[in-house]
Amino acid sequence: MSELFSRLGVLADTLAATPILAIGLTLGAFFAGNWLFARIGRPLWLPPVLLSACLLSGVIAILAVDYQAYQQGARWLTVLLGPATVALGIPLYQQMHHIRAMWRPIVVTLPIAATLAAVYALVIAWALGATPEVLASLAPKSVTAPIAIGITEQLGGSVPLMMGGLLITGVVATLFVDLLARLLPVTDERILGFALGLNGHAIGTARAFEISHTAGAFASLGMGLTGVFTAMILPLVFHL
Amino acid sequence: MTMLRGFLVLVLFFILGESMRVLLALPVSGGVLGMVVITFTLMVKGSVSDDLASASQGLISVLVLLIMPGVVGVFFTADQFSGQWLAVAAALLVGTFLSVLTTLLLMKLVTERGEQHRE
Repeated sequence: MSELFSRLGVLADTLAATPILAIGLTLGAFFAGNWLFARIGRPLWLPPVLLSACLLSGVIAILAVDYQAYQQGARWLTVLLGPATVALGIPLYQQMHHIRAMWRPIVVTLPIAATLAAVYALVIAWALGATPEVLASLAPKSVTAPIAIGITEQLGGSVPLMMGGLLITGVVATLFVDLLARLLPVTDERILGFALGLNGHAIGTARAFEISHTAGAFASLGMGLTGVFTAMILPLVFHL
Repeated sequence: MTMLRGFLVLVLFFILGESMRVLLALPVSGGVLGMVVITFTLMVKGSVSDDLASASQGLISVLVLLIMPGVVGVFFTADQFSGQWLAVAAALLVGTFLSVLTTLLLMKLVTERGEQHRE
């Protein structure tokens, strides 16, 4: 019996030494989250990414997997974020005729809205007494993850806090776009897509692709432009 | 096979983007640079291959999977920031509400003005 236990220990070590456990857990949580999402009737306020992340955190905590080790293994997945960001250029190209028709509102809105997305959050957090580290983690909250990581590191923030902020921002941006689209009202899919991508980065963009291909392309555009613009402006603004 | 061929194109453009970032010391990530370059390349070329289209669609559909490992981190570093949760929550909720409102209103305003202009 004790022999079996020691072998179980060896098994745990063997699996933990390769990235395969981290990949399996992440994939499993991803599909479980999507399944659960469909089962509970696709509520807007609880998107699959939040469900999956909660499930995954729970499993990691229960199995007592070392978080650092998990993060190491999951790099096999997160490294794909680079090519995935490049992939957003394809719907962008396919929808170029729509984008050309909208260039004026895009050029006017982007610099103002992308700057304010960071400024609103910074002013509110600063007024409520957040430390510089927290401010640096919140500043890129509307920027897509691969770019935001770079910005936060440059500003001296905490990457995990930033990622959490990113998640919440993505979720609430999706909610607020839906809510405000009905109140204002805005029905133009191109505007909704752009607002989703600009404010809600990848989570907003995923939602926009649910609306339509056009909304998705505008979200990719909004996300990409916000990322580029914020990455260049924020390090300058933040040091003032 | 075809999807992998498209994936190779994406990886090559990502490597190109990373090279630009490092060599030109740009503050923008390699992925975004790659995205910009591939969009312009396709505009010049005038068409997109099925390989590339299916590979990009595949990756975009699992975007959420790719950001999940980073998201999980917040649950494991939460206690570092105790006492700041009100500031964080208010900044995220109120800040995002205001910025969504700003974006929608601005876009709506400028689009409608442009359409009136044309009439």
